[in-house]
Amino acid sequence: MKRNSTTSKIVTAGVLLIIALAPLLATSEYMVHIGTLILLWAFVSTAWAYMARFGLVSLGHGVFLGIGAYIPVMLFNYYGVSPWLGMLAGVGAAVLVASILGYACFRFGLIGDYFALVTLAMAEVVSLAIVACREVTGGSLGCTLKASVGWASFQFDDKRYFYYIIFAFLLLALYIWRLIDKSRMRLALTAIEESELAASSMGVSIIRFKMGITLLSAGLTAMGGVLYAQYVTYINPGTISGVGVSLSTCFKAILGGMFNIFGPLAGSAIMVSLEEYFRISFDTGFLGVSEIIFGVVLLVMIIFLPKGIVGSVSEWLNKRFGVARS
Amino acid sequence: MLEELLMAFINGILLGGVLALLAFGLNLIFGVVKIIHMAYGQFVMLGFYFIYYFHTAWHMPLLVAMGAGIVVMGLLGMLVQLLIINPLLNAPRLNQLLALASLIIVLENLAQVIWGADYRGIPISMPIIQFGDIFIRSSYLLAFLGAIATLGILYLFLHKTYFGLAIRSVAQDVEIAKGMGINPKVIYYITLAAGGALTGVVAAFFIPIYTVHPHFGASFTLMAFVIVVFGGMGNLMGGFISAFIIGVVTSITAVLTSTEVADILALVMFILMMMVRPQGILGAKA
Repeated sequence: MKRNSTTSKIVTAGVLLIIALAPLLATSEYMVHIGTLILLWAFVSTAWAYMARFGLVSLGHGVFLGIGAYIPVMLFNYYGVSPWLGMLAGVGAAVLVASILGYACFRFGLIGDYFALVTLAMAEVVSLAIVACREVTGGSLGCTLKASVGWASFQFDDKRYFYYIIFAFLLLALYIWRLIDKSRMRLALTAIEESELAASSMGVSIIRFKMGITLLSAGLTAMGGVLYAQYVTYINPGTISGVGVSLSTCFKAILGGMFNIFGPLAGSAIMVSLEEYFRISFDTGFLGVSEIIFGVVLLVMIIFLPKGIVGSVSEWLNKRFGVARS
Repeated sequence: MLEELLMAFINGILLGGVLALLAFGLNLIFGVVKIIHMAYGQFVMLGFYFIYYFHTAWHMPLLVAMGAGIVVMGLLGMLVQLLIINPLLNAPRLNQLLALASLIIVLENLAQVIWGADYRGIPISMPIIQFGDIFIRSSYLLAFLGAIATLGILYLFLHKTYFGLAIRSVAQDVEIAKGMGINPKVIYYITLAAGGALTGVVAAFFIPIYTVHPHFGASFTLMAFVIVVFGGMGNLMGGFISAFIIGVVTSITAVLTSTEVADILALVMFILMMMVRPQGILGAKA
């Protein structure tokens, strides 16, 4: 038991150290760019897994990504509002929306696949709303963030700034995961997932704990949207809100394993690098091949390894070396 | 304006017939196999492409191509049962949902790789019928009549044949059905084949109305969901009625505002229905 936890600490420190040093060793800007994308999606899908690992599988995190991405960009492009304020507005709006939608879902007792379907519909509503307001948002053609480099406008020429900023946010998300693990919240949410009736008869407030984790997850996801918009500087309802991005966020976490703290990171690393690999090696003639392979891999994973890659590997290690999970 | 609204109303009813057919397939699969077929609209898209391909590349006459497309879609439905649903029959509902959602990714990109991202269609010009100031497209009317006829055949199949009886009994209670000597797996294959063939039929009716592209199916999946939930999941009659309600509401909203607002309205109706009355308009309280 003791040895196991030291080993996992060493592995954790090693992984984080590699991530921290990677840009210094990278041979090209392009590699830093890929690393940044991996960390960004790892951050978002870690935030998604906060909820999912307690059975609250949302297929609608595109709602929060979309709000987080669009509000600061709109405020900056039209009113010149500093992205630092825009960031607060975006995250605040996402948390507000999450509290309304979350309360409605939990109040009416939507759980499991019903919750998943309703959140999926919500993602599509936000995406359609962005398209419908095409005079302001540019509709499905998307819109570009006005260029203005510097800390005041939160845009940088050197890609490494964003790499480290997003890395810091990922660390924050992982740290919060640890805090949740140690808190009463984890116990309460596990009890609620096992049986809502039993949990509430023990005096656990179902709505309060579910709302807590939802607001946390939504706020961080919206922050991911803000970072995406500031880094990529082009947003489009198809790529940052709606069903597509909602599903791909959750698939990244599932691929890596959503019950393990490093699962979403591993899943994002695999998916983003695979996507890039196929994009480069097959060029545009085979656009879509990587997604087909990805979809088939997902199917196989969901059928045969529902715990995800990191989850299955650590379970196998534990069985193999006979160490109980800490 | 009044004519426009009346025309939107009629188009809503006509399109509602085809949507009823689509929702029927989704509903049947949900009622019998207890699985939400997330990739159902994508099946319509594939059916459309197959008919297009048989007609243009293999030069089949259109009706033969449609028949072949329906058969192929039925076989694909069985393939989905064999490869995806069977291994997940006892898995948590959420895993089934996510597996079929990843099937969406596979099918849409497969279509893109094979047929490209362009809009494709078979140009058929069908006459427009005029009643006074009202114009009705005969392609819509044909789709409507065809859909109603197909629904009638399905009704007879479910109520007058042995397999129909077996399907209904599995939908009601699998364990008792097993006790009566019905093999539920065989029934599941038949249901998925029927559901697949139905997407082929819907695609055939859509040929004169739409052109197809790889993301053609997504809106139909959502539309079918909205209808099925509105009518009560597994409730075939409720689905039939709600298809017309949704068809008319979206068609009129689209005329008054825009198609996005119409879709938003349909989705909001779906969300509210899931929350307040998950058993649907006709369902009894569980």
